[in-house]
Amino acid sequence: MTSAPVTLQESPPSPGPIRQWLISPIGAQLTAIVVFVGLWQLLTLIAERVPGPAEVANFLYVEITGGSHGGIVTGEFWEHFAITLRRFSAGLFIGFTAGLLIGVVIGSYGMARALLNDTVLVLLTMPAFVWAFLTTMWFGISWRAPVLTVAFVAFPFVAINVAQGVRAITPDLRNMSAAFEVSRWKQFRHLILPAVAGYIFAGLRFAIIVGWNAILLSEWFSGQAGVGFRTRYWFDANRYRGFVGWVIVFIFFIVVLDRVVLNRLQTRAFRWRDPIEVEVELAQQEQVGV
Amino acid sequence: MARVDIQRLSKIFPPPQKGGDPVTAIGDISLEVDGNVFVSIVGPSGCGKSTLLNILSGVENPTGGTVSVTEGARPAHLGYVFQDARLLPWRTVMQNMLYVRDDDGDEKAARYLEMVGLSHTHDMFPGQLSGGMQQRVGIARAFSVEPDLLLMDEPFSHLDAITARSLRDHLQELWTATRKTVLFVTHDVVEAVQLSDRIIVLAPGGRIFDDIAIDLPHPRRAADPKVATQQAEILGRFEEMHPTSAPA
Repeated sequence: MTSAPVTLQESPPSPGPIRQWLISPIGAQLTAIVVFVGLWQLLTLIAERVPGPAEVANFLYVEITGGSHGGIVTGEFWEHFAITLRRFSAGLFIGFTAGLLIGVVIGSYGMARALLNDTVLVLLTMPAFVWAFLTTMWFGISWRAPVLTVAFVAFPFVAINVAQGVRAITPDLRNMSAAFEVSRWKQFRHLILPAVAGYIFAGLRFAIIVGWNAILLSEWFSGQAGVGFRTRYWFDANRYRGFVGWVIVFIFFIVVLDRVVLNRLQTRAFRWRDPIEVEVELAQQEQVGV
Repeated sequence: MARVDIQRLSKIFPPPQKGGDPVTAIGDISLEVDGNVFVSIVGPSGCGKSTLLNILSGVENPTGGTVSVTEGARPAHLGYVFQDARLLPWRTVMQNMLYVRDDDGDEKAARYLEMVGLSHTHDMFPGQLSGGMQQRVGIARAFSVEPDLLLMDEPFSHLDAITARSLRDHLQELWTATRKTVLFVTHDVVEAVQLSDRIIVLAPGGRIFDDIAIDLPHPRRAADPKVATQQAEILGRFEEMHPTSAPA
């Protein structure tokens, strides 16, 4: 058997530098953003009352640096943002911790599953605005309403995912641990937690996204400060560039959080799956600054 | 020096289907193992070998009879090697070794890894090792808890013939150095002859069919002609006793 000599001419032509940049991950992402802004600009030409990108950017600049929007004094951007972030973190922490504990219990014991699984499913299908209204009815206009709204919304996503993860642990490893009389705490740390890490991440990611949406809603109804409150403020004032500006801040934050923080955490947590590939992936992330 | 004392042991499982017959895994077994010996339990599938190990380890309860595993006056401390390595895939080899130990002293763990020739793998994940290397970690792990009695359940049955052969030599060296009491379940008579001081042959229905002493010095290598001669002789005995269904 002889193999034909391979010449360079036979390989497909390599794409030009511009094309190569366009199909690189970061190039494609930037292209998508440019296309989106272009379409947005187009929309403002057709539709009335849609503020254009430049108008919104200008608004955000003033809102962040301080100044006046037609007589309305601004410059409390970071205060509002920090308030929302604090409430969100507190709510997420409560919802996540409760979800993790209940999830492990539901996943481990048949009795707990029979008792709690349907309840958690009902909570899962409960719309966020129901919690926003209920907590406002219970606590009035205070920080408790947004915090608990986030907690209630985040909890079932974590619980359901963790329960599924615990049930998926192979009995082989559990039997091995029992045979060697490994303590429960050690089993939790080294067997259960890592085994369900993927499920925890999936649950956490959903919880963050729905929780972030819920806090906007809750602050819209019951806030006296925060991102949701500020969004409503500009909406009520009939200033749509303010409304759109804050919505963009809101979306931008969750996208960055998801892409940068959660993605990196996930990649690190799963080093064992394919250690070499993951090292390369982490190095690449460092390079492009993602 | 662990002591295993099994008297008139039986294990009958309920019928697998409604209206079926109960399944007798172990009929009536009495067996004593005393001292630092390597004992193999050999027999065809379904003769109750694994059930016997499960009862010894306390995973299952016997239907009748008594079992005691003691070290002097106290219950013996057990170690296990399973059919597959059963390592935590998300922990390194060293972390896997420490997982089964009470204290965090990793000197012993390192020593046993060295004894199976895996000193260079401390920081590797199980997924980066071959099946044979993973099973060597499993064996090192079982030895590192320094059990009074080591239970091994067909630990080489999932490996290819060449890897299994090299692992048996490893196990022989490790055992010769430590002289633990071992109960080793296998369906492979040839393997049992190389490793054991004593071979208990079980027959279908869970009864002891034969009890053979192998008197050769340790460590025994697979290539040793004396081992091969013994193997041939024992296999011949099986064929005489069981012309059609030799458990080999």
